[in-house]
Amino acid sequence: MDNSVIQTLETAAQMLLAPPNVVSSEQRHQAESVFLEFRSTKNPYQLCRELLERSTSDYVLFEAASLIKSALLKEWSLLSQIDISSLREYLLNYLMRKETPPFLREKLLQTIAIIIKRGSIEDGGRERKALLAELEKVILGSPINQQKLACSLILAIMQEYAITVKSADVGLTWDVHFRLKKSFETVDLKKIFRFTVSVLEQIVRSGHRPEGEQALLTKQLLTIVDTVLCWNHVSSLLSKRYISAIYESVSAPALRLSISWRDTIMQPELIALFFEIHVYVRSNPELADASLSCLVQLSTLSGVVVTTANLKQQYFDNYVKCFVNMLLYIQPVDKEILGISHIYRRLVQCFPSQINGTTAQAFLQNLTTLTCHCIRGSIAEERVNDDTVWREALSKFLHTWCSLVHESEGFSNETLMEPCKEVFNTYLQSRLAPPDGTREAELADDDINNDIEEDERSQHSNVLLTLGALARKAPAHCCHVLFTLLQDRSKRLEGQLQLMHMGKLPVTNGEDLIGLFEDLHWILMITGHFIAVDCTEGETVLIPSEIINYSIQQNANVDASLRYFVGESTNTDNVDSIFKLVGLILSISTWECAALEAGLGTVFSPELSATISWLLKIWSNSYLMLQGSAHAEISPVLDCAFGRTSNIVTWVVARLASRVGTCLRYLSGQPAAATQALQLLTTLAHAQHKQNPLASSEEFLNLVAWEAAGNNLPGEYRKELHRAIAICATYAEGDVRSRLLTSTAALQDKLFNIMNMKSDTEPIRNMLADTMDCYIGVTEGVLEVGAMDEQFLMLIGAIDKIPEIIFTYHNYPGVVLPCLNLLAKSAKRMLHSVQPQNVTKFLEVCNTTFEVYMRWNSGKISSIPTDAEEEAYEDICALMEVICSIARTGAERVGETCARGLRILLPMITPQLLALPTLAQQAYKMLRDLTASDQLMHMPIEDFHMVVTALRVGLTAVSYDVSTLCCDTIVGLSNKARTLGEDNPYALSLLTLAELLLMLIIKTEIPPDCIPAAGDAIYALTCVKPALLESMARQLIEAFAINDPTNVPRLEGAFAILTEGVIFDGLRRHKLCFQDNFQKFLANVHGFLIVK
Amino acid sequence: MGDIEDTHFETGDSGASATFPMQCSALRKNGFVMLKGRPCKIVEMSTSKTGKHGHAKVHLVGIDIFNGKKYEDICPSTHNMDVPHVKREDYQLTDISDDGYLTLMADNGDLREDLKIPDGDLGTQLRSDFDGGKELLCTVLKSCGEECVIAVKANTALDK
Repeated sequence: MDNSVIQTLETAAQMLLAPPNVVSSEQRHQAESVFLEFRSTKNPYQLCRELLERSTSDYVLFEAASLIKSALLKEWSLLSQIDISSLREYLLNYLMRKETPPFLREKLLQTIAIIIKRGSIEDGGRERKALLAELEKVILGSPINQQKLACSLILAIMQEYAITVKSADVGLTWDVHFRLKKSFETVDLKKIFRFTVSVLEQIVRSGHRPEGEQALLTKQLLTIVDTVLCWNHVSSLLSKRYISAIYESVSAPALRLSISWRDTIMQPELIALFFEIHVYVRSNPELADASLSCLVQLSTLSGVVVTTANLKQQYFDNYVKCFVNMLLYIQPVDKEILGISHIYRRLVQCFPSQINGTTAQAFLQNLTTLTCHCIRGSIAEERVNDDTVWREALSKFLHTWCSLVHESEGFSNETLMEPCKEVFNTYLQSRLAPPDGTREAELADDDINNDIEEDERSQHSNVLLTLGALARKAPAHCCHVLFTLLQDRSKRLEGQLQLMHMGKLPVTNGEDLIGLFEDLHWILMITGHFIAVDCTEGETVLIPSEIINYSIQQNANVDASLRYFVGESTNTDNVDSIFKLVGLILSISTWECAALEAGLGTVFSPELSATISWLLKIWSNSYLMLQGSAHAEISPVLDCAFGRTSNIVTWVVARLASRVGTCLRYLSGQPAAATQALQLLTTLAHAQHKQNPLASSEEFLNLVAWEAAGNNLPGEYRKELHRAIAICATYAEGDVRSRLLTSTAALQDKLFNIMNMKSDTEPIRNMLADTMDCYIGVTEGVLEVGAMDEQFLMLIGAIDKIPEIIFTYHNYPGVVLPCLNLLAKSAKRMLHSVQPQNVTKFLEVCNTTFEVYMRWNSGKISSIPTDAEEEAYEDICALMEVICSIARTGAERVGETCARGLRILLPMITPQLLALPTLAQQAYKMLRDLTASDQLMHMPIEDFHMVVTALRVGLTAVSYDVSTLCCDTIVGLSNKARTLGEDNPYALSLLTLAELLLMLIIKTEIPPDCIPAAGDAIYALTCVKPALLESMARQLIEAFAINDPTNVPRLEGAFAILTEGVIFDGLRRHKLCFQDNFQKFLANVHGFLIVK
Repeated sequence: MGDIEDTHFETGDSGASATFPMQCSALRKNGFVMLKGRPCKIVEMSTSKTGKHGHAKVHLVGIDIFNGKKYEDICPSTHNMDVPHVKREDYQLTDISDDGYLTLMADNGDLREDLKIPDGDLGTQLRSDFDGGKELLCTVLKSCGEECVIAVKANTALDK
């Protein structure tokens, strides 16, 4: 090779790397094209060797290494065995003798690994075995640099066999990849492990500190061991279809070993050695990560290696002995706590039946101490808020506790009681202000963004849920502590507020008051999770069984308890503790409402108000109107107070409804407080039976009347209020029902009034939008299918007006959007279960709405394009929702309406709008749904062309969701088109997509995860016209014959594989055969056309 | 906002106030509000509070309905904000004068010639469409004494 090649490449590299002011863009382009050409050099091995030896430019060296790798993958089948092994030897030799920068080293190591892996297809791993033996020798007795290199090569080989995102996956089918992986793990993995561990043992025993080069080597050795322990073994149970296209998951799987590992892994000294290694390296954070990761993996041992209970127990006891022994000597620092928490979590997960062994006491004691330590650490961390290590660790510890307290075969309740108390006390203390607790003063006032930051209940929800479960293991203690604290704080706060009310204190929220709010807020959050479970959606929530048992044990006086509860007496003798606690909370709620009504809303904390409403919400959800049959046992006092027929329930519900009313009147400007109050109301409304005490409570009916009369509540809350009223009305009967429905009737009156006035002013438009939102609330509240028609009639009055409203107010998106939303919501929630005549009526409204909307909006050009885009975006989303919902009902004649809707929508979905991911996703989902319900093939052919154009755009969108949806739609359409014959205009239009799709697949311009779906689409399209694939193949080959004739035979071969034995008739059997061929085809084609 | 009977309706013309007050928490996205003295459409609303136990404030982002400029403001949720009276009316375009004024016809047949052709792309499009013989419908936005054409579309109603 003459020097000119090196010269050219090096100059080009300089150009590329030069700062922009030194070279012109033309020069840069020229330099780029030099490298582009270089990359496509055929048989470049000799050239690259020369470059590696002689060039001094890092960029050129890297390009040379990359070219060797990609050329090898492309030309593997054309190279001789001798060439390949000489190349491999050269590369290894090159690395051994030269000091190379890391990026070059990694590239070359990967190339060697690829050679080893591909080579093992033919030689069954012979070369690999020899190389590994050679590397072992290097590690045992060569200079440290070469030792490190040998480790890197072992890692590179493992990475290549492990099938990660980093390994080269082209040119081989998944079948072959997995076969190679299986053979590697059975033959070599254990050997690598044993060898590496023995080297580590020598290092630890040598007594040298892990510093400098030595530390780097140790780290590499640890990484090898860790990779072995995290290895995802190929399971013989997984079928081929599952494993294809699955890369290794991110989190490590449990250590599941085969029987051949027993002699190694069951040695007690091995586990002890790993703990020893950790103690040896723990002062170095980089090494400690790897050693902890090994320990975590070892705590998950499972699989056939420990099939018998005896073996498992033996392993567990030994592990815990070493673990506890280590904990005696170390005080966990930072990240270490996270690893330790993982170990606890995994042990409890993987050895649930072994926990109660000889090591139980030490195990539990250490867990308690560490959890308490971690609670303090995590709360300190919250204040600084830049790292989450302690919080993550706490969450793991609490997961562990969660399993312990719920697992029946583990520890007994007696054993758990003291540790649970300790954890509970520690947490509570860390949340309270001194002197009872250790909370530090609030940091300086900073703005909390409500919309971005989660509220504390959801932020700490996992911690609090577990803490509640722990507290229920020691109910007497926790109940007493919570009651005492609550009584003290509430008295103090009430006193302060009274003084303010009487004018003896200034009305401001000073530090004292904020401290009290914060204490109460936390005590109430903990109390809530103690007495009930925070779950208001989904399954019925019961009173926790521990609370019921505790109530039974107390055997309190029913009468005394109830009298105290409703505030008729203040005597707490013989009163059930739970009643004491909840009675106190109700009285706090009462004086909070009094304070709000007395004008102290400006000082009272909205957050605390929200917490009170939240607590009452989750409490009422499981306590009020309890169903005796759902609980295995119930105490007399609970049964008497909260059974179906109890007056107490009516009394409580009335108080709660009144609370909601007060909160809405005085706290409507405070989102958290108002939302929780409304959720409390919705929970009460949800009691699903005819005699819901809420429906007949005067307090609630007052609220209904207040709403009917008009108020200044923000629209979103009015919507929720209407939702709650509609829910309640669904189950109510007779007079109560009609009183409840007055608010809905009032909505209609208001709407008609507005329409009659024909006024077009801002307040009127606001009122219209609000009214539409309220109707949406009504729609959402209608629950029971049987009641749909009746409620639908109430709604149709409003829905009927929608076209007229849109006509009049078409220039005001603030009005148009709520109208479209109402249409969409009611189509979605009600249309499927109303009578046919109502469906017809609804469809008529939709048809007119579509027309009106199109009349004012098609072809509109706005002065502020971004603004117009946003408006169009929201409207179109709502319109699509309408179309999808009516298509889904499957009723007669919906097809026509859908087609009409689609006809106006498709032209409005511009490329700019399709660039918005959410809109694109929704649009293509709509197309797919419409295909499924057979709507698209009935459209006029011109409209169908628009659908095909939209699919063309979608396929090139390079988004997994959109591409998959498009492919699914094509499959659906093709299946329908097949029955029409290939010359049918619909089929012809559809078939125009085939070529695009094939090109996208071949050039990997479609997201990799979509490729199976794309394959299905190709098959389905070919079924429409069986000659299709062949003609496309011919065209493609002809194109190649001009540009790249050498690849023509390979391409022909690939296409032959693709159609081998496949019949294009749409039968599942043939489709599966095609899928298999398709995979081979891709592996083949991508192997020589593109290399990752 | 109170019930219909309580609301004092302004026609938006002749000496009436150009704005009316509304509680901040009752404002809605896509609605209008005065920010820094300009009529704006609300494009973003979020709430925040000072400290955990503080009271809510509403953070508003709006764009000027005439020129598209962005404004922001923050206000306690219980306070009132000014909301502009906004009108958008459609006119048929009947002529464009040599000095760039539009001749617009309202639904009731009244003609007006006091509005200029809008600036930018919209104006260019309007002129070329009009020269191309298209029947055009112009949307005129009016608020706080300002007025201009903000949107144009082909008048499909005439086709029927």
